Amino acid sequence: MIDVKNLQKSFHGNLVLKGITETIEKGEKVVVIGPSGSGKSTFLRCLNLLEVPTGGEIWFEGVNITDKKCNINQLRQKMGMVFQSFNLFGHLSVQENITLAPVRLRLMTQEQADAKAKQLLERIGLVDKASSYPSQLSGGQQQRIAIVRALAMNPDVMLFDEPTSALDPEMVGEVLELMKQLAAEGMTMVVVTHEMGFAREVATRVLFMDGGQILEQNTPKEFFSSPKNPRLQDFLSKVL
Amino acid sequence: MAAFLQQHYNNLYIALLAEDRWKQYVEGLGRTLLIAACATLIGILIGMIIAVVKVSAAGNRKLRFLEILCDLYLTVIRGTPVVVQLLILYTAVFTSMTNGTPVAIIGFGLNSGAYVAEIFRSGIMSIPHGQTEAGRSLGLTSWMTMRLIVLPQAVKNILPALFNEFITLLKETSVAGMIAVRDLTKVADGIKGRAFISEPLFVAALIYLVLVIAMTQVQKRLERRLGKGDRR
Repeated sequence: MIDVKNLQKSFHGNLVLKGITETIEKGEKVVVIGPSGSGKSTFLRCLNLLEVPTGGEIWFEGVNITDKKCNINQLRQKMGMVFQSFNLFGHLSVQENITLAPVRLRLMTQEQADAKAKQLLERIGLVDKASSYPSQLSGGQQQRIAIVRALAMNPDVMLFDEPTSALDPEMVGEVLELMKQLAAEGMTMVVVTHEMGFAREVATRVLFMDGGQILEQNTPKEFFSSPKNPRLQDFLSKVL
Repeated sequence: MAAFLQQHYNNLYIALLAEDRWKQYVEGLGRTLLIAACATLIGILIGMIIAVVKVSAAGNRKLRFLEILCDLYLTVIRGTPVVVQLLILYTAVFTSMTNGTPVAIIGFGLNSGAYVAEIFRSGIMSIPHGQTEAGRSLGLTSWMTMRLIVLPQAVKNILPALFNEFITLLKETSVAGMIAVRDLTKVADGIKGRAFISEPLFVAALIYLVLVIAMTQVQKRLERRLGKGDRR
């Protein structure tokens, strides 16, 4: 589904991604972990071109999205993204946050989008917040709404950029729970996170990044029980 | 005391009612409002375009030329007095135009645009970049993201500064008399000269004051309406 070939990204001459090659298959739940500054968020943000790669290629569903002629807006409709800081639109109600993109991009009529929003809000138990504004909600509620806002586009893959890092500890659970449900339904997911428990439980594959490279990857069981790379051993000993 | 009041009453009569002079104020007021309203619209249009160009140019080398053009405009307009700009437009640019009103509209519009541009730019920059990223990640184009997500929130943030500019503009139109426009101030000054009394100037001042108070009320209403997403 996603083919990354020798992906490079530099900021002002500073090479942050040093040639990453990776394939993500449909239905996989790939969790990316690593210390801060390792390039894991940059890697994720390159996948939907929020960061424009400075080298290499990214293929999504058979299309080279790093090609200049590619219409990235169309492809982004199929790649949902969830941010660390939620990024709900502050001037719009919860309902409008969810329906804005599908309606404006003419994927649904307003009625269809409203029905979809209602169904998604029911699922996360926040129907009564449909007409609330983001500033009136808790962080956990905002992040769950950000997730269903992305889901309203019926994406083929969901990208999560440290979705629980800005949350109070007691709200982390509700967001992870929703992500676990998504995973169980077969959604293809790429998740950058520090939640080792989530990686262990949900991931089909865990990647360890440091210094702009993927140093090791394995099934979660092997990954956590018998890490081979010394850098990963050191990292795990600190976070576990 | 009675004589003092009687004197002012008589003067007010001369200033307003004698020879149907109130009609002149109405005409002058109409022209002032026309100039202010049109110039405000032109200013908003120019300001918004320049602000969007300048913000977009920060991340796109292809717009560099446009950005230089915008900077030149901002420097010239903000660097010279509006009266001089009006006089130049009237005497050197629109030489065939005898009616000063359209010239005043263009002049004040161009002038206001420069200030509104900077106000809009500050508003756009006050919106966290995450809002743009969220919009783009949903597949919205950069222009849709600007129009549907960034600008509405930016406008809310800049409303006080924007109304400051509109109020200043309304009062600034009082120099339109310099290019032979019979606006409210010019009318009042003319009546003052003919009747040798100062009351017409107070009448004009009062009208401006009422207009500005009305604009302030509009601002308050708009702030309440746009502020519904705020916690405050």
